[in-house]
Amino acid sequence: MSKPIIVGISGGVDSSVSAFTLKEKGYEIECIFMKNWDGNEESCTSEEDYKDALLVCDKIDVPLRTVSFAKEYWDNVFQYFLSEHSKNRTPNPDVICNREIKFNSFLNYSIDLGAKKIATGHYAQINKKDGLYTLHKGKDNTKDQSYFLCSLNQKALSRSIFPIGDISKDRVRQIARDNNLLNHSKKDSTGICFIGEQAHFKKFLKKYIPEKPGLIKTSDGIACGQHDGLMYYTIGQRKGLGIGGGYGSSELPWFVADKNIEENVLVVAQGHDHPALYHSTLTVSNFNWISGTPSKKNSLTAKIRYRQNDQNCNIDVLSKDKIYIKFDEPQFAITPGQFAVLYDNDECLGGGIIDDRK
Amino acid sequence: MAYFDNSATTPIHPDVVKAMNDSNTLHFGNPSSVHSKGRKSKALIENSRTEIAKCIGAQSEEIIFTGSGSESNNMILWSMLYNNKKHVITSSIEHPAITKVLISLAKFGISFTELPVDKYGMVDPDTLLKAIRKDTGLITIMMVNNEIGTVQPISELASIASEHNIPFHSDTVQALGKIPLLVNELNCDFLSFSAHKFYGPKGVGFLYKKKLKEIKSLTIGGSQESGYRAGTENISGIVGLAVATKLIRENLPKRIEHLKHLEKRFKENLKNINSKIFYNGHPKIRVPGLISMTIPGYRSDIMMAKLDRENLEVSSGSACGSGSIKPSKVLREIGHKDNINVCTLRISFGRDNSSEDVDRLANAMISIINE
Repeated sequence: MSKPIIVGISGGVDSSVSAFTLKEKGYEIECIFMKNWDGNEESCTSEEDYKDALLVCDKIDVPLRTVSFAKEYWDNVFQYFLSEHSKNRTPNPDVICNREIKFNSFLNYSIDLGAKKIATGHYAQINKKDGLYTLHKGKDNTKDQSYFLCSLNQKALSRSIFPIGDISKDRVRQIARDNNLLNHSKKDSTGICFIGEQAHFKKFLKKYIPEKPGLIKTSDGIACGQHDGLMYYTIGQRKGLGIGGGYGSSELPWFVADKNIEENVLVVAQGHDHPALYHSTLTVSNFNWISGTPSKKNSLTAKIRYRQNDQNCNIDVLSKDKIYIKFDEPQFAITPGQFAVLYDNDECLGGGIIDDRK
Repeated sequence: MAYFDNSATTPIHPDVVKAMNDSNTLHFGNPSSVHSKGRKSKALIENSRTEIAKCIGAQSEEIIFTGSGSESNNMILWSMLYNNKKHVITSSIEHPAITKVLISLAKFGISFTELPVDKYGMVDPDTLLKAIRKDTGLITIMMVNNEIGTVQPISELASIASEHNIPFHSDTVQALGKIPLLVNELNCDFLSFSAHKFYGPKGVGFLYKKKLKEIKSLTIGGSQESGYRAGTENISGIVGLAVATKLIRENLPKRIEHLKHLEKRFKENLKNINSKIFYNGHPKIRVPGLISMTIPGYRSDIMMAKLDRENLEVSSGSACGSGSIKPSKVLREIGHKDNINVCTLRISFGRDNSSEDVDRLANAMISIINE
């Protein structure tokens, strides 16, 4: 019986080159296109993406199959997304999608299909140390996606391959170009997959969660505007606050500093350097240790958002899945709901959801 | 390598290819031109029309060429816009080329009633009788279901329509070439056909329109097809279609016998299977060579992927765009719960399949289930 490697293909250049690379190395591979969102939201580019995936698979001559995890996505990712927003927090559905869909539903489905391993187009690397699998940053530092993989477990890592984890995005595009893979210049997907462009965000969210308008106040307690609902804003946000002149002491832009949920007040502060925007410590819950709790608690680094530079920190382990992080430098816009991800050099130790900051 | 998805489409017959090549190479004239090249093309089309009419026992002026079975269905249904009676009766297991058109027509004030089917997918003529209203302007019921192969009692249903003076249309796309089909026995006013379902080319179909019955054109322009479908004719497609119907006329009993033999052999092979299976659709009143089988607990997408690895091509439910597996409406209508609905495969044999192909398929399925 054949035991292929099954590649999750999205119609984008990264997963396409991943499939191509494995095929070139002589592995028996098959591709699967996942459809995780039902319905006709204007943002759903699924048909176009499927067409691209089909053309790539045709070009490199590998079978393409499709599967729908729309129900699983709805139950395990979208409900989480809504629940966090309704608590006025800023969720990260990409991390949860990886944990629940790509490295759970898709992985198990592939195993049912007889797959030896799965592969995806993530910029990250897997190693093995003392009998445990470890997750590492992608070689291309500007594209590293280990942040989004912080919720993976040992089963997922033991069964996964990241074929482009050790090459650069430029090289990936070059490989696509050299081999006439159709989508070598296709632009990277941005935004949340089921909403699409950020411009639609408000309209989208409104369909699921009722709006609760309230006041915008400065960190000194002065009312300076109105908001349509705290759920629409994220900490550190600069655009779309609609605060006119006259409130501030200068022409500096305004930023969201906090959400006062009891009073339904959006708290803003003027200027990127305003102290209300900075905190040095935070607590993280639902923390997932990829390869177990580390012995090292000091001189680690963390990211509190994707693509942030590594920030020096020390940690305290409060319980099995709760930690406390203390940064060397105060951090701008620590956002409850987002993931804090810990690193020891290039090893991703794991991550969890930011609960509180001080 | 073996193909068992002949209800989705069939491989084109070599005689059809040859006739189409000849027509493409030799006869490029516009059939509307009066010079000799035009006349030659026109003659090819009219001879084809005669040949096709003969296959279903119709007269040549009752044949209108279209681009597909779907287009034929659309012509009939959109003609309802011009009908004073605004109600349509259909079955609950029609192809989307009927169902989705009816949904679109709702915006124009045309309503429809879906007749239920029994556990075999059969429409009961009594339910039709009860569903008829004063404003019923059309009845459309498919002859052969594409997923489960059940054959409807079309002549009985059409007689009820005719007694009430209501035009009757049947989507016969899955019927021609698999069961005898003669218009004078069916008593229908309109029938839809598609060439690629019976070893003809893709992109060409036809509509049977009984003499004196009226429909409206979807495509307006030149006076081709007696004004029912403007646009320069797809000459080679029509020629290919004609050859495909001629082959039906000459070979139908042989083809039916072959399909029945393959079906019987397959089912006998599967008697040794180590799993509960059941077959869907009417046990007797069905097209030969189409098997809808449910293997409870074994999802059809997984079975299909494993068969695909052996180059054995089958289908699940009805083929759909991006291919994700959704419970089939037809199987729901015959009472399948979703958990076994998605465990249903469609195997449709064709003239190119041999007994050895069928054995390979059955053996592959048995070893997959025993894995």
